[in-house]
Amino acid sequence: MTSISSLPASSAPSTTTTTTTTAQDTYIFSPIYSFPPFFTLQPNPITRSSQLQSWSAHIQSYCRAHRLFSISLIDALPTPLFTNATLSRALSLRDAKAVVHWMSTKDGGNRAEWTGRKGDVEAAETEGGRAWIYWRRPEEWAQVIEDWVDRTGQRGTVLTLYEVTESDATRREEFWGMEGELLQRCLGVCVKKGKAQIFGGEGSEGVKFF
Amino acid sequence: MFLHQLDLTTALRPSLLPEETLLFVQDAVGLYEGKFKIPQYQNGQAYLTSHRACYVDHSEPRRNSVAIHLKDVERHDFYAGFLKSSPKITLYPKPLKQLSSSTPDRSGSPAPAPAPAPSVSATWVCPICSFSNPVPSNFDPAAANVRTPLPPCLACGIKPPLIHVVKAAIAAISNRQPPELPPKYDETSVSAPSKSGTNPNSLVCPRCTFQNHPSLTTCEMCGGALPSPVSKRLEAAQEIGRAESPGPSLSTPLKDMAIESIKFSFRCGGEKIFYERLKNALVQRKWLLQSAPPIPKPRPASGTPDDGFSTPTDATAQDPARNKVVGIAGLERRGLEQRKNNEVMIGSSFEDLEALMTSAKEIIALAEQFASQANLGTNGNSEASALASQSASALGLVTTKDMLGSGSESLYVSELSRNLAEWLTDDTRGILKKEGGIMTLVDLWAVFNRARGGVELVSPADFEKAARMWDKLKLPVRLRQFKSGLLVVQGRDRTDEKTIASLLVWLEMLHTEAPAPDTQWDWEQYGRGVTAQEAAEWFGWSVGVATEELEMAEESGALCREQGLDGVRFWENWLVRLPVETSAT
Repeated sequence: MTSISSLPASSAPSTTTTTTTTAQDTYIFSPIYSFPPFFTLQPNPITRSSQLQSWSAHIQSYCRAHRLFSISLIDALPTPLFTNATLSRALSLRDAKAVVHWMSTKDGGNRAEWTGRKGDVEAAETEGGRAWIYWRRPEEWAQVIEDWVDRTGQRGTVLTLYEVTESDATRREEFWGMEGELLQRCLGVCVKKGKAQIFGGEGSEGVKFF
Repeated sequence: MFLHQLDLTTALRPSLLPEETLLFVQDAVGLYEGKFKIPQYQNGQAYLTSHRACYVDHSEPRRNSVAIHLKDVERHDFYAGFLKSSPKITLYPKPLKQLSSSTPDRSGSPAPAPAPAPSVSATWVCPICSFSNPVPSNFDPAAANVRTPLPPCLACGIKPPLIHVVKAAIAAISNRQPPELPPKYDETSVSAPSKSGTNPNSLVCPRCTFQNHPSLTTCEMCGGALPSPVSKRLEAAQEIGRAESPGPSLSTPLKDMAIESIKFSFRCGGEKIFYERLKNALVQRKWLLQSAPPIPKPRPASGTPDDGFSTPTDATAQDPARNKVVGIAGLERRGLEQRKNNEVMIGSSFEDLEALMTSAKEIIALAEQFASQANLGTNGNSEASALASQSASALGLVTTKDMLGSGSESLYVSELSRNLAEWLTDDTRGILKKEGGIMTLVDLWAVFNRARGGVELVSPADFEKAARMWDKLKLPVRLRQFKSGLLVVQGRDRTDEKTIASLLVWLEMLHTEAPAPDTQWDWEQYGRGVTAQEAAEWFGWSVGVATEELEMAEESGALCREQGLDGVRFWENWLVRLPVETSAT
C-alpha cells in the first residue's frame, strides 16, 4: 500500500491501513482481469479500444476501492493493479503508460491526468511518473463536496481543508483522504462557479461554502 | 463422326487420355467447316496432342469444344494466308468404313476407296531391327512412288525402302482372303524373341485361358478362335476412341456425317509450328504405340525372373533353385540378382535412344525405385517430397514454352496458369489438401518445379504471373496476399469467413480440456491461447500460413493476442465479447 504512496505517509493513521487492507482483500476483480490476453495491448484498433475501456474501468474501480487518487506507474506496476500474480501476467510499463495516456485523452473520458507543472507533464508521461486517476472528475468531486456541505448544514461556516479530507467527520465520505492538491483543484471548481471561497495562506487554508 | 465431344479439365483444358501428350497450344484460332465459318467456334485455343487436335472455345469452353482424332485424319493441307485471310490448316476426314466404296469422288483424295482396308492388318518388318511396323493407313501400293512419304520404323527410326513396304502391303491384301490368318504374324513373333521357353507374346485363349503359340489361329486345347494380335491392336485403338464421355452431342450441323473438311484458322500466327508438329504427330502415330508389343525382357543366364513378368511355368522352374538359398545368403543373392537385372536393363536401354524411348516405362519405374530407395535413408521425406518423387507421372501434362506458338508471353502464362490450377486441383495428387487447403506460393513453386522433374523449369516471375491470372481465367484456385505480403494459394471456395469459423470451432473445443493441471485462469470460460505452431499442426498448414491466418482472424476481431515470453498466443476475443464494466459513478 505504501508503495503506491497514495496517502501521505506522515498523516496516515493506523486505522486507515487496516481499512484499506480489508478493501484489498475483498476487492473483486472484473472477470476480464483473469483473461490472459488482457495484459497484452492489442494491435487491432477495435479490440484495442475495447481493451482500453476495460482497463480504464478496471483501474478506476480498483482505485475507488483502494481510495487511490493518484498512482505512480513505476510503483504501481508490481501491485495487483497491473500485475495478476495468479496468472503471472503483468502489463508492461510501456503498455501501462499507453493505458493511462489513453485515459487522459478525450477518448478515454479524461479519466486520468499526469501530475506536475506544465513543464513536468511531458516528463511524467514519458518516464511513467504520477498521474491522477479520476474515478471522479474534479467537477464531480466539487459536486460531491457541495452535497456533503449541504447535507451537514455547514453552509456559511468556514472549514479547514484538513477538516474536509482528514477529520473523523468525513471518514465515511468518498473524498476522505484526498490529497491536498486535488482538493485544491476541486474547490477551485466551486470557487469558479461562485459557490465557495478560499481563505488563508499556505498550509492553513479554509473554505467557506455559500 | 469426325468431330468428337471434348472432355475438359477443371482448368478448361482438354483432359488427356493415358499416354497422350500435349504438343502445342495456340490461341486466337477459329474453325471452318469446308469453306464456311462455324458459328460460335471462332475464338478459342487449339491444342495439338499426340492423339488429337482440339479446339476449346474462349468464351464458352464447356459447350463449344471439339476434338478431332488424328487417326481419323486422312490428309492435311496448309494454306499460308493472303492479305486479310488468315493462315489455315485443313484436316480431311478419312472416308467412313461403311461408306468406303461409295465415296470414290472425294475430291483431291489420292487414296482410292479400298485403301483403308489394308491398313488394318498390313505390317512391314524393319530390315534393320526386325520390328514389325504397321503400314500407313493411306498407303496404296498401286499409287506409291518414290515421293510417297514413308514413316520411319517405330523402333529404330530408319526409313524403310519403298519396295519393302509395297511388298508388305500387297502381301497383306492378298492374305486378306482367309481373314482368320493373321498376316505377317511370323515376323511379329520373330521381332519379339525370348530366350526362355515361354513366349511373352503367347496368345491367351479367351475361352479356356490356355497360352497358345502366337502363330495359331485356334486354341490347341478347346479349339476356340484366338484373337489375332493385329485385331488386339485394333481393339486398343478403338478403346482410345471410346474413352470419351458420352456427353451431350453438339447441337449444331457439325454432327453431320458429311463433313468435308475442318479448317483451323490461325489469326495470331503459330500455324507453322502447329502444322509442323501435326505432321510429326501423324507420322509418329502414338495412338498405335499403346498396343505395340512390349520389348523383350532381357534375361541373364542365371535366370532371375522379374516378379512382374515371370510366367507361371518359369516361376515353377525357378522355384526349387531359389529356395535352396535361405537366410541372409538368400537375401544377398536376391539383391545381387536384382542389381544384375537393373544393370542389364539400364545397359540395354541406353544403347540407343530409340530403344530408350520404347523402354521408357521400365526405365522410369526403375528410376522411381531408385529414388524411393534413396529417400528411405533420409527421414525428412515429407508429403511434398513424396509428391515430387512422383515426378515422372506428373510429366504428362505440362506446358512448356516451346509448345506455344507466336512467342506470345501471355499465352504461355495463361497456359501455365491453367496447367497449375489443374495440377493443384487434381484429386489424385491432392496437393492443396495435404497442405491444409492452403500453401505459400513459394512452396508451390518449389513443389511444381520438382514435379517437373528438372526439365522445363518455370521461372519465379512467370510463375507469379501465372498465379495472378487465376482470377482472370476464373479458375478454381486463387492467389491471396496477406497483409505482410506473403502470397498463398488456396481453393476459391475457401474464404476468410470459413477459415475464421474453423478457427473458432477449434478454439471452442479447447474449452473442454484443461491446458495444464496448474492453469490459473478460468479455462472453461476462456479456453486457452494457441500458437501459430499449434494451429499449423492442427490444420496442416505451414507455420507461415498459420501465422497469417491467425493474424487475419485477429484483424477481423475474432481473435486477440497475448504476447508472452514464449511468443504470441491467440485467444478468442473475450476483450470484445465481455461487456465493459462501467464504473458506477
